[in-house]
This record gives sequence, C-alpha cells and structure tokens, in this order.
Amino acid sequence: MSGNSGNSGNLERRYRRVLRLLPGYYREQWEEDMIGAFLDGWLTGDPETDEYISRVAWPGWAEVTSVAGLAARLYLGGAGTPRRYFAWGQAVRRAVLAAVLVHAVLGLDVLVQTAWNRRLFGLPAPPAILWAASPGGVWFTVFYGVNVVWIVIFVALVLGHYQTARVLAVLAVVPGLVASLQAQLTGSMPAPFASWAFWVPLTLVPVLAMAAFHAAAPPPARWPWLLALPAGELLVVVPLLALQATGNFAWVPDFPGQCCLLAALACLAHAPRAWSRRAAGPGAWSLALVLLAAVAAVYRVASLTVYLHDPHLIAVGLGELLILGTAAALIAPDAARAQAATPPPPPVPHPIAA
Amino acid sequence: MTGQAFFVLTALADGPRHGYGIVGEVAELSGGRVKLKIGGLYGVLDRLAAEGLIEPDREEAHDGRLRRYYRLTRDGRGALAEEAELRAATARVVRVRLGLAGAEAAG
Repeated sequence: MSGNSGNSGNLERRYRRVLRLLPGYYREQWEEDMIGAFLDGWLTGDPETDEYISRVAWPGWAEVTSVAGLAARLYLGGAGTPRRYFAWGQAVRRAVLAAVLVHAVLGLDVLVQTAWNRRLFGLPAPPAILWAASPGGVWFTVFYGVNVVWIVIFVALVLGHYQTARVLAVLAVVPGLVASLQAQLTGSMPAPFASWAFWVPLTLVPVLAMAAFHAAAPPPARWPWLLALPAGELLVVVPLLALQATGNFAWVPDFPGQCCLLAALACLAHAPRAWSRRAAGPGAWSLALVLLAAVAAVYRVASLTVYLHDPHLIAVGLGELLILGTAAALIAPDAARAQAATPPPPPVPHPIAA
Repeated sequence: MTGQAFFVLTALADGPRHGYGIVGEVAELSGGRVKLKIGGLYGVLDRLAAEGLIEPDREEAHDGRLRRYYRLTRDGRGALAEEAELRAATARVVRVRLGLAGAEAAG
C-alpha cells in the first residue's frame, strides 16, 4: 500500500479542482476521503519520487470522467439527496420522458401511416390528400427504423430499463447526426430529420439528459406515461390529420410551432395546480414544463432561420413564442419554489435491510 | 445489486478497508477486470451507506491524513450473502445449460 508523504501539494490541488464539479454538501462529507484514496493510488512513500509525481502527474481523463458522472448523478438527484437537487432530478427526468414521448408518438404515427397507406388490417384507403408515396432510399428506411426505435426507448425508460434505453438512444442519435452533417456539407436535405435545429434540442439534449435516470432515481409512474403514447397519437396526431384531410392544411402549424403550442397548452393545463397551495408537490412538474418550454423555444427560434424570406411566417413564429413565453411565465414562480419545496424520498432500502 | 456494489461489499466481507484499499481488493477479486476510479468508488460507497449496507468503522492517521475505514453492517452482510447465493444459483444453471456441469462431475 502506498502512502502520502506530505509531498502531494500540486497533485492534490489539481484533484481538488476536479472535485469542485461535485455539489458542496457532498464535498463536505466525502472530499477529504476521496483525496486520500486518490493520492494513495499515486504516491509511493518515497519523498523524492512523490515530489516528482506531484509535480508532473495530473488526474487522468478516466478519473475526471468518473467524478463528472458522479456530479451528474448528484445534481440530478434521486433518493436521499437534498431537496434542490432532487427537484432538478425529477424535473429533468420528466422533461426527458416528455421529449422522448414526442419521438415515440412520431414513431407510432409512422407505423400507423405506413399501415394505412398499405391498407393493412383491412384499413380503407387514406384520402388522396393524406396519401404520400414513400420516396424510398436508404435514408427513408433509416428514418422509419429510427422512429420505431424511439418507441422502444420510451417504453424501456418508463419500465426502468435505463441502460437499454441509453444504449438505444445513443444509436438513434447517430443517423440524425450523419444526416445533418451531410446536409451541412452538401447543401441537400437527405432525410426528414436532417436539421441541427431539430437534432440538437430535441434529440441530443434529451439523450445527454438521460444521465438523470440512475440507480437512485425513483421509477417513473408507469401507466400514466405508457398511456400517454396512444393518447398522444389520438389527441394530437389524429386531430392534425383531420385538419389536413378536411383541406384545412393552412391552419396546421409547422412542427416547431406544434411543439411550442403543445408546451404552452401543457403549461396552461398545469397552471391551476401550480397556483394551488393545497396541491402537493406540483413544483417538479412546473420546473419540468419550464424546461420543456425552453427547449421548444430554442427549437422554434433556430428553425425560424428557414423563414427569413417570409415576414408572415416569421410573425407567426414570434406569435407562437409569445404564447409559449406567457404560458411558461404563469408557472415559472412555482418552478422557482420547487427547489425548496420538493421533499426527496428516503433512500431505497435493500430488501434485506427493510 | 450492481456488479460494482457486489465487489465493494465482497471487498469488505473479511474486515474493514479504507477507500484505496477497497479499490485494490476489488481489482484483485475481479482478476483485474474491475478497476474502480475514485469517483465511481464513492458513488457506490455513498449509495451503500445510504441503504444501510456499510458504515464508517474508524479513522486512522496516515502520513498526515486521516483514512476512513468502512465495514459491512449486519444488513450488508445479509444482502451480500443473498446476492452471492443468487449469483451462484444463476451460474449453476448456466453451467448445466452449457453442458459443463456433467463434464465437471465426470472429470
């Protein structure tokens, strides 16, 4: 076993800087212990060697990554973490589930439309206005595949198979990245999801935020989330299709606009609960909806760049942003209070310890 | 129980150890397959402590620094025994399905 010979100064300082990634309450409890364990792994007990090691050695990337992973788990807290971090953890987990739900509903819609176009299960022919021949090709095959995978990712997250969901999500992110890069380099749009404005806020950010689904995170409410998938298809996609089928296409906002209006509706529906002091624990939902509103706003602003030639569409987009901002402002105070008001659950005891 | 938590509890089964002692013991127990980084180790230790499966044992001065030792609690010992039994039972099933159990008995 190596020992600390008092010549650890520089190396210790460098590791302390890495540990600043961790929340203060955690450092108070564990920092000295972690530094001791870290230095034990480096120092030899020989003053000259230790002086040299301390001068030239740095915490490696694997070490820094392990501390960053721990920091993500603590800031996006689960059972046993302070209220503030638990509220953020719950809010991010719900926002991620909602974002993945959007992908899953799109995936379900792709399946439904494919079945309808091919008249499977005895379905009648779709109205001519809705019938779209698949352009075919590799990218559209990938597009269908990725959309279906998002349904699996959503169900895996809801059922608590976090590792499976994360692995599939990383795979689902890649085609969008490649397609966006190709669109960037060639100036052509090879796939329907080849847009940075879509890929970054609606795909990459939620996948990164899946770090909030860790072992200490309380499981999501299964049935409400699972039912949200067919409900999203019936309550959102079917009415939009009906508008299109009846020739009212002009009334249908573009997809970023739909995201803004959906997030605004969710904020408005939640506002009475957020204002009611009797309702228990709505704060994490308020925080989650404000996060979703922020993501929708970023998506809307980024996607407006394609309308720069059309002042009318820019005005529509700004109107959607105004509605979204107003709705989010109604629940923002409750979201701010959530950090102090959301009680974390106690640590989950091991079955033996219960 | 995660693989890392299982190895950490096993490392503490025969007596209290401090942080780096656990890292070394886990590496040895796993034949070098599990190399815990300090961030990962304390992520496991704090969870096990919160679940009541380990607890601080003592602190010892070592080259001007306090080393904190950890030990298994009674619940931790029970949880480890249960997990070991589960893993052994699973391993037995795997060996039977691979046809290794009969060959071993014959050998």
